[in-house]
Amino acid sequence: MEDGARRTIQGQGGDRVKLNVGGKLFETTVSTLRSGGPDSLLSALSNRNSDDPVFIDRDPEIFSALLALLRSNRLPLTAKRFSNQELIDEAVYYGIESQLRSALAPSQLSGIDASLFSTIRPSSDGIVTDFNAVDADGSVWVAHGGQVSVYDWSLTHNETIRTHLDYISSIRKVGPDLAVVGSEFESGLHFYNLANGRRVGSVEWTDPSDPRIYKARVNAVVDSPDSVFAAFECQHKENCVLSIDKSTMKAVSELGRQSGNSAKSTVVGKLTFLPEINALIGFSVTAGAFGYSGYVRLWDSRSGDVVWETNEPGSGRSSRFGDSFADVDFDRDDLTMFKICSKSGDLAVADLRKLSEDPWVYLEEKNPCMRHAGGGSSSLIHCYRKQVFVGRGGELEVWSRMVEKGSDFERERVLHEGLYRRNYMDKVEDAERGIIKKIEGAGDRLFVTREDAEGIEVWQSSQFSGAVLNL
Amino acid sequence: MPPFAGSHPLSHGFSRNSIDSASNIVTIDVGGQLFQTTRQTLKQSGSKSILSEISNIDGSVPFIDRDPEIFSILLSLLRTGNLPSKAKSFDIQDLVFESQYYGIEHLLLNSQSNPSQFEPFDLEKSVILPLSGRDSPTAISTTQLGSVQVAHGCKITSFDWSLKRKSTILTQFAGIDSLLSLSPSVVAAGATDFSGLQIIDVSKGFVKETLNWENVTKTGSTVQAIGASKELLFTSFESARRNSNCIMIYDLNDGFRPVTEIGHYEIFGAELDSAIPATKLSWISSHNLLMAAGSHSGPSGVRGNIRFWDLRSGNAVWEIKENVDCFSDCTVSDDLSAILKVGVHSGEVFISDLRNIGRENSWTCLGDQRKVTNGKKEGFGSKLESHGSQVFCSKGGNLELWSEVLIGSSIKDRVFRKNSMGRAKDSCGNKITHFSFGGNKMFVTRKDQQFVEVWQSSVRGF
Repeated sequence: MEDGARRTIQGQGGDRVKLNVGGKLFETTVSTLRSGGPDSLLSALSNRNSDDPVFIDRDPEIFSALLALLRSNRLPLTAKRFSNQELIDEAVYYGIESQLRSALAPSQLSGIDASLFSTIRPSSDGIVTDFNAVDADGSVWVAHGGQVSVYDWSLTHNETIRTHLDYISSIRKVGPDLAVVGSEFESGLHFYNLANGRRVGSVEWTDPSDPRIYKARVNAVVDSPDSVFAAFECQHKENCVLSIDKSTMKAVSELGRQSGNSAKSTVVGKLTFLPEINALIGFSVTAGAFGYSGYVRLWDSRSGDVVWETNEPGSGRSSRFGDSFADVDFDRDDLTMFKICSKSGDLAVADLRKLSEDPWVYLEEKNPCMRHAGGGSSSLIHCYRKQVFVGRGGELEVWSRMVEKGSDFERERVLHEGLYRRNYMDKVEDAERGIIKKIEGAGDRLFVTREDAEGIEVWQSSQFSGAVLNL
Repeated sequence: MPPFAGSHPLSHGFSRNSIDSASNIVTIDVGGQLFQTTRQTLKQSGSKSILSEISNIDGSVPFIDRDPEIFSILLSLLRTGNLPSKAKSFDIQDLVFESQYYGIEHLLLNSQSNPSQFEPFDLEKSVILPLSGRDSPTAISTTQLGSVQVAHGCKITSFDWSLKRKSTILTQFAGIDSLLSLSPSVVAAGATDFSGLQIIDVSKGFVKETLNWENVTKTGSTVQAIGASKELLFTSFESARRNSNCIMIYDLNDGFRPVTEIGHYEIFGAELDSAIPATKLSWISSHNLLMAAGSHSGPSGVRGNIRFWDLRSGNAVWEIKENVDCFSDCTVSDDLSAILKVGVHSGEVFISDLRNIGRENSWTCLGDQRKVTNGKKEGFGSKLESHGSQVFCSKGGNLELWSEVLIGSSIKDRVFRKNSMGRAKDSCGNKITHFSFGGNKMFVTRKDQQFVEVWQSSVRGF
């Protein structure tokens, strides 16, 4: 800051630039204008060799906010009187959209310091059946009823299309403007181009040699850089995971076909792809009269071989018998796997690099006021930014890892019971909005949907205290 | 107004050189607008500021590539020491950010959060600072200039002096019982169920130092209270087996080096007094004494003691035994030269003049002395804090302000009067758990409420 300050004090040097924006005069330096990047309109203006101010026919007040952003890398709070859309439009005009985007982006998501920021509400068919939040660009692709809506990084509605399905239960963005959708009630996986609303491809699971493979429906979908993986299930419960090539939109291979007549062979309910270890992971859980049962299966995505598998109840320590998992998720950064136990509600972690018969380390409860926070039925977990977010009924909690310098985990990846601390993320009244159905993190935001509640909740952290005047 | 294109701004009475040799006038160009001021005004910013550097530039008009409108506000601040009323159309955070750029944040802070602007009779609940999650505050601490740190659950949330920015960190504690700000970014934290005192950097979220007391039983030592003077940090430790306790003294300016240990008690037999660790530590700078108070609730009622330690000799120079109507909380006021307590049974405020040091039964009741104490513990949970020459006492959900009315000169009959604080709508909230003072504000937390109330003078709000 000090050095920067020194630089900006100048005499009547040659690198000062005068601008006349909408009748108001501004004076700044070439380096400030060029900080918007070499391709921006402003840096093009900075190359002029003339003392006369260049005239730009735009609104001077928004420009003043954007100039302050270029000068100090921080958007002044007076810019709040303009809508995000206005600011973005002007920034696009001047070619400094990336600066504005980083200034408007939420601060790093910290579960212990997050609050409900806004709710995305599609205008019609407001109950969200599935969504896909894309970490790479912060956008969220929402399936509601038979429609698909896309909201960009600023949570602005971009477009909505209507598909031929009446109820989309799985959606995934698989390319720019390209989404795949599937339904529990209608067969096939369908590729839709969001730009023109057309169905551009369709995949059905068929097998000429087996007449029972007929009208298979999609239960879960995930994608890797070049493939889409979808779990299909027929009416007679036969199921498999199809690997589909993204460019040809045709099924390439079939993984793990099974009969579906026992808990160990039911259809995959959740698919995850881990690019770091090239693994496709399928997870299935069924809740029956005798409690939860299910499996986690890890395939090598290239060869299609099962690399590791665990079944519950059945494997693992006997003291945890009858306490099988209710949900499983994976931390892509740490390559760890988390499960939540259906009966006790405990959270356990396993190292994906050291998988064994019983890899689980059960995390210890340290927060005394959460000891009675309830079991694990109707709970789900999601890992994001090295934190584990848990929905227990309507309650949202976060497990955050203790930051200790030179701790065992940073050095040797030793998992132990006290590694994570548990905290509520929500208030009591938040939990009353309904049972949490899906949690997904992207772009430093957490997106949450609830049973029978319209819209998607957006949670994010902020450096602002949110002080409220007591009037 | 900015100079218009084509016109010659320098011809409007501005001299062509930035500094008129005949006078002290300095001309600065900020973002295209010209400002004129004097060298003396710019020098107000302090030697480290870039503005005082500008005042030394001779010749051409210096150009600063910043926002001119905010600069005009900050120039008014330099001229008068106060913000002009048009500053209200800006957000204080923008002003703070720009003032940091110019190196004059201290002037802004002085005009907005100066402890001398604390107006005890004019405090009202003005702002609410929400805390994330569901934990209620368990400890609160403030710096002199009004930044606040709040412990809730295993987290510490810090607010800057403008109360507009916050950050939350995770600690190793399950719950924090004692918290003391050492600076806006460093706190000392301890718990009665966790061994060791931790010095935590709350801006980066890591433990700088862990201080432990090696007790005889070699069990952990929990923290019962933290206090500080300008140079020293005091910590009351109790062994995890609760059979010994002491007060450790650390040097704040020398990397928390242990200086000495005072009041070390090991429990032998049934002597109750030695089993009570100090739960409140206050430094009395006028007398160079450390007040350490602790109480114990047992079958025979609440008993306690207040000891005054001379650090050099390591001896207690005065001890008040509290057997009847023991304190629920006590505090010391240098300005009043007195210690005060609120009785756990009577709920009344008592004073003892520090000039009477060493005398038996020195308490004088400030409230209704004739009240019959029926053993109902009316003062249970009451908190007492002094700030300047005022004494604040919480009773349930209400706050009382005790202030001295200066009438006579004899120390025997000092006159104190009580006011209840806040408007009708502010009272009768949940029970007050903690309150603290910083800058020109008072911070209050209540039971089962996940926020901090900020009380300040109505005219001072930004």
